[in-house]
Amino acid sequence: MNKLLFGIGFIVMLLLQWSLPGKMIFDQQLAVNQGIPYKFKTEPIDPSDPFRGKYVWLNYEIGSFISNDTIWPHGADLYVYLETGEDGFAKVSQISKKELNIELDYVKTKVDYAFKKEVHFSLPFDRFYMEESKAFEAEIAMASANQVQRQQNQEPTSICYALVYINGGTTRLEDVFINDVSIIEVVLQNREKEKTTIN
Amino acid sequence: MNTKIEKELRELIEAQVISPEVSQNIAQYYANKSTETPNRLFTIFGVLGSLLVGLGILLILAHNWDNFSKMTKTVWAFIPLVVGQIAVGYSLFVKKSSLWKEASATFLFFAIGSSISLVSQIYNIPDSMASFLLSWIVLAAPLLYLLKSHTVAILHLIFVTAYACNIGYANSGQPWWYLAMLAYILPFYYQRFKANPSANMTTIYHWLLPLSTIICLGTFIESNDTFGMVMYVSLFGLFYNIGKLPFFNEKRLRINGYLILGSLGTTVTLLISSFRWFWEESDSMSMAISEILIVITLGILALVALIKNVKSNLKQEFNLFQIAFLAFAFIYAISSFDIITPWIATNVLVFALGIFAMRIGSQKNRFSILNYGLLIIAVLIACRFFDTDISFVMRGILFISMGAGFFLANYIMYRKQQ
Repeated sequence: MNKLLFGIGFIVMLLLQWSLPGKMIFDQQLAVNQGIPYKFKTEPIDPSDPFRGKYVWLNYEIGSFISNDTIWPHGADLYVYLETGEDGFAKVSQISKKELNIELDYVKTKVDYAFKKEVHFSLPFDRFYMEESKAFEAEIAMASANQVQRQQNQEPTSICYALVYINGGTTRLEDVFINDVSIIEVVLQNREKEKTTIN
Repeated sequence: MNTKIEKELRELIEAQVISPEVSQNIAQYYANKSTETPNRLFTIFGVLGSLLVGLGILLILAHNWDNFSKMTKTVWAFIPLVVGQIAVGYSLFVKKSSLWKEASATFLFFAIGSSISLVSQIYNIPDSMASFLLSWIVLAAPLLYLLKSHTVAILHLIFVTAYACNIGYANSGQPWWYLAMLAYILPFYYQRFKANPSANMTTIYHWLLPLSTIICLGTFIESNDTFGMVMYVSLFGLFYNIGKLPFFNEKRLRINGYLILGSLGTTVTLLISSFRWFWEESDSMSMAISEILIVITLGILALVALIKNVKSNLKQEFNLFQIAFLAFAFIYAISSFDIITPWIATNVLVFALGIFAMRIGSQKNRFSILNYGLLIIAVLIACRFFDTDISFVMRGILFISMGAGFFLANYIMYRKQQ
């Protein structure tokens, strides 16, 4: 009997160890298959995680919304409902403390703080993992693309955005683009340019 | 067997100190002993190997190989997990040596972490460090009881401590899951304690468990640091009383992590509380419900241990260290009316603890405890120089007196031992 229980315990442990990464993959795949893609304007900064490697941290333009409700405690659940704006990028349609029975897609996050009717929050898909040598170069590529415009007192024309699939609250950050070119591709192009300049 | 021992034995037989039979018995004893030692060494090297390989895999995967497709990377995410699971299954059902169990459990522990981290990386899943660590700890937790692995137990303690620190110190939350994960390891600790109380591994737990709790208690402090001190003094009171329970008290001091940490912790926290600014800045009325519950629980547990101590040895002398937590709770209660009285009372308490430590050292003829008591008083006097206005001459005289006191007390003890 003890041996049987022991065996069952062992099999349950194996299944549990498979189930979490398995569910993570399943949810992500479902978000791509059934979800709607949104573009979020962003700016990348490169930090590092001791276990999961280098990533670009994405600082989104969307980060607050005006609400008539004045009670938004720090750390409370927040549902951010989205729609696509005229410029083709995602914008906030409304925010709520509870899940609403409406057609719009939403992202679940937490309240950072609220000040004068403005509720501040962070979008959860803020990590884009990259090969360790490319993360820093990606940040440099974006910064230098905008710097040229700023030096000439012009508004930056380089647009950096993240492509995110959203399906019933599940999000999948697919890629990050600089002027419609994948950030990985931009890094590779820059490396090629450097090589030809040296030669 | 060691050739040096063989040589010595031959010499002893030639000198007719021992008979050839005795020599043979001694040789047999060392031969048996040497077959046991490599086994333990193999286990240590096996665990170290698994630990390094596991960490290495984690780092290699963290590189993020973007030349591979998502599918390839996903398959790679599960390969270490499968290898680890097969190794654990093999050690459980076929080869049951402790070397295999420890090494395979350690490898699987890291394989779980690498598989979750790689999936998070491939799909850019935005998990915080704390939830990543918690998932890892929970999925690896069954290994502790299935394989009875000491390495997993130590890794479990290290990782739950890291998890609590991440939530409490880096993100200002309260890591309630830490308590559940700590409770999870207690039956395992108790089993080891009952089965092999004097083993080195059990001693490691006697130190690691209280250390982890001391590090993490601070993550539950919400309202003000003064009440945090009450929480810490209660915890140290509990540890000191556990260390005084007959099982620990009869053992050597180095295995009694509870007593040493309880005593040192009580002294240090009370020394911090002996500063005037500490009471001036305190807001004794502001405290969170969770903090009150923690203090009550720790206080009750410390009282239970104290009563058990008193009952088990009615003849034992009064020891101020055992009730210092109650005295400090009373002092804290007064601080809502007045700040001078608790300030003076804390100084008197620390001074009395120093005297008590000296007394215990003198009764037990232990230089270490006697000097510990002297050190408490010396540090207390040195601390008072920061918040009291005393002339330099007076300070100099006090320091000379302190130094002379050290010499005198040690000399008296030395003469007593002679």
